[in-house]
Amino acid sequence: MIDKLVTEENITSNGFSNTNNLPPASSFPPPIKKKRNLPGTPGMYHTSNSYPEAEVIALSPKTLMATNRFMCEICGKGFQRDQNLQLHRRGHNLPWKLKQRTSKEVRKRVYVCPEKSCVHNHPSRALGDLTGIKKHFCRKHGEKKWKCAKCSKCYAVQSDWKAHSKTCGTREYKCDCGTIFSRRDSFITHRAFCDALAEETARVTAASHFNNVTPSGSVGNINYHFVGPPVLAGPTMAHHFSNSSSIFKPILTNPENHLDPTQQDGLSLWTSSNNNSNGNVNNNELRDLHQLGHQNHPSHSEYQPNWGVFGVKNTSDHDPNVSAPPSLLSTLNNLPQTHASASMSATALLQKAAQMGSTSSATTNHTSFLGSFGVNSSNNYNITTDTVATHVQDENKFCGLYGTSPMMNSYRGSELENDFSSLDEMYPPSKRRHIHVEEHHGGQTRDFLGVGIQPISHPRIRFDHV
Amino acid sequence: MTSVDSLYNNTLFIFFTQKSSMERTHLSPYTNHPQTTTKQPISHTYSDPGGGEAGPDNDKWASKLLLECAQSISYKDYGKINHLLWMLNELSSPYGDCDQKLAYYFLQALFCKATESGNRCYKSLISVADKSHCFDSARKLILKFQEVSPWTTFGHVASNGAILEAFDGENKLHIIDISNTLCTQWPTLLEALATRSDDTPSLKLTVVVTSTMARSVMKEITQRMEKFARLMGVPFELNLINGSNKRLWQLTKEELNVQEGEAIAVNCIGALRRVEVEDRGDVIRLFSSLNPRIVTVVEEEADFTSSRFDFVKCFEECLRYYTLYFEMLEESFTPTSNERLMLERECSRSIVRVLTCDDEQNIDSGDCERREKGNQWCERLKEHFSLVGFSDDVVDDVKALLKRYRTGWSLAHDRTNSNEDSGMMLAWKDEPVVWASAWKP
Repeated sequence: MIDKLVTEENITSNGFSNTNNLPPASSFPPPIKKKRNLPGTPGMYHTSNSYPEAEVIALSPKTLMATNRFMCEICGKGFQRDQNLQLHRRGHNLPWKLKQRTSKEVRKRVYVCPEKSCVHNHPSRALGDLTGIKKHFCRKHGEKKWKCAKCSKCYAVQSDWKAHSKTCGTREYKCDCGTIFSRRDSFITHRAFCDALAEETARVTAASHFNNVTPSGSVGNINYHFVGPPVLAGPTMAHHFSNSSSIFKPILTNPENHLDPTQQDGLSLWTSSNNNSNGNVNNNELRDLHQLGHQNHPSHSEYQPNWGVFGVKNTSDHDPNVSAPPSLLSTLNNLPQTHASASMSATALLQKAAQMGSTSSATTNHTSFLGSFGVNSSNNYNITTDTVATHVQDENKFCGLYGTSPMMNSYRGSELENDFSSLDEMYPPSKRRHIHVEEHHGGQTRDFLGVGIQPISHPRIRFDHV
Repeated sequence: MTSVDSLYNNTLFIFFTQKSSMERTHLSPYTNHPQTTTKQPISHTYSDPGGGEAGPDNDKWASKLLLECAQSISYKDYGKINHLLWMLNELSSPYGDCDQKLAYYFLQALFCKATESGNRCYKSLISVADKSHCFDSARKLILKFQEVSPWTTFGHVASNGAILEAFDGENKLHIIDISNTLCTQWPTLLEALATRSDDTPSLKLTVVVTSTMARSVMKEITQRMEKFARLMGVPFELNLINGSNKRLWQLTKEELNVQEGEAIAVNCIGALRRVEVEDRGDVIRLFSSLNPRIVTVVEEEADFTSSRFDFVKCFEECLRYYTLYFEMLEESFTPTSNERLMLERECSRSIVRVLTCDDEQNIDSGDCERREKGNQWCERLKEHFSLVGFSDDVVDDVKALLKRYRTGWSLAHDRTNSNEDSGMMLAWKDEPVVWASAWKP
């Protein structure tokens, strides 16, 4: 059973292998620790996927949390580490025979989470590291006993708490208007009243006037009200603010989310500044965004190449009639506003959108991009046409706006199929027709990387629409 | 000085000379140095009119002078009144140290009281303030204040924490906000709603605007709030209700837009004191009729109500409270802060209103400003609600908040009345200044 699962996933894991080269979405603003293995991403760390013959161990919570896993067979003393046990055994003056450890080849063990409702309970999502599964169990299903003194944030794992305490209060928050804050609450309050925020909306309002494309739902409604909250809503700015490592919510949630026209809501906000076509702004923005309270600074350097690849180039072959705003808007309309770039600030996103709108599409980039995501292995697509198509299309635009996030997050998310589906959406309609998109779109969380995709996909989508 | 101030100063001299011609020689500032007049039994604090200079006699000269003047007014010793008013006028300044400032702002009230021109004075103060009031200045002021002092943010954190806990599990939230916070409390709540769980609830905010001045900026604030909520990804709706043209307790459920299936919270920060004293019970009854999950009340710790018929007592309490407030402002802001100056000016309106205006005259702009202490509010609220203690998490949050500011702030648990909790008290240098509480029906 596991083998079968593993086989499928191996393919995809190969397909996705390149993702490891891309800045993991986790490294960009969503402040996830660098080393963390992207949930769902088979990869660098030991998982059941890397070891198809692995023995799946399911420990009970009690055993999992037991501190002494290694027992001396002679006196029954328990030790936390194998090395310590061996050291202890030497003291027993064992005859040579018994000194040797069992010759049996130690099989690679992978562990599943004992919590039934947990996604890691499934053998295919087992973790190879015992310490890893212990920490996971604590974090997700354990009681949060450790509390930060400065901000009173709670943690279940002591090492998490320690790590947080080191950085708590040292982080700086920068608003788009340039002001820097050391306190998160004052940053949030400032942001809410900041003029920079007001400007964005002004642009959006202007943009919305141009919008004729309303695949579903009314634009007006969407522009100003969030109706029907998508379950995954919120992460955008919110996550941007938060330190939490749960930036990437499980992708699964509501497949219907993106289908619900009413959920398009806030993203229309993002339509913004189609007027800015300043490719150079990107890098600066990236840096700014990075400052916006995320923990992985180096990540931004990884971003540069991608950014360049997808070229926020100033458009030349771009159809002048294609106004970024409308298309962006329509895209946004259909998008569940959920994980709109968990890490990016609204302003940054809007500006990116603007740049996107005005950049040319790089066909080649398309292919390479998609290819890098292993879209070729399209065995996971099923189509759900019409309803999806329109939404998908819009979602594409949106996805483009937010860049790879859908993809990245989908990786992290539940099934890999979702990844492809969302990926696919980013593709121009023409290509999309060839690929079946599964209705279940995972990974609504957006990641910075994908921003660059918009220019590519978007114009094409526009054209095809026309 | 503003034109109003100079007007008053001129009137002061004219009035005095007219009223007590017998003592004219004493009153003329041009010929008489206070020290030379010996008609009045002058306390030793007069020895140094320069003010602000170090010396045991000069400490707290303002409060001494002011109190004496208040007493003189209460037993209508016009000679003394004139003299003291003149003294204060010489020594006071809105740009000086705490004593000078207190002298300046209280002098204005004393003068109005002596001349019985409180209502007129207040109205002109209001109109002056109205003209210079705008969104930008109000925003700058309130945000700066929140940056340097937890005076207001204390209430925000406590209330938000209590509200979030009371709303746990609900997904249609409706908060009725009757406050003076200009919605600065809500961004952090919105952020918390957005991040705390996968299931983001929808929030409807009904803001009752009680001050005429706030109305103009509230429109702009509404827009900002809506945008921000969108940014946060929280389904949001904000409605403004005008509560200044009628009595607050006359509002109805329909006017407040209360609907079925909503979880209601009433958030009342710095607003109960603006209700006329006789109406306060009715307002609390109104809250109760809305059947809220929780009612959060935050008020400044001072009692201008029980002494409202006793001028001197009321004056003493006013002086005590505003001395604390001014000292706090002085230590929290930079010396040349414009924002602090504006905050101090706002106090002058309150002081004039409390000390010199006739409540019966029904100024009716929703700004009674007669504060009550926490335990007094408790007595009122107990009729319809029971106190909900703040959870440990909220207390921790508040403590963490206080740590982020300069030293001097602490939490004082007020258990003087009984063994049970009666809300949380913010203390400045161990003096209780702001009281926060949460109630449930």
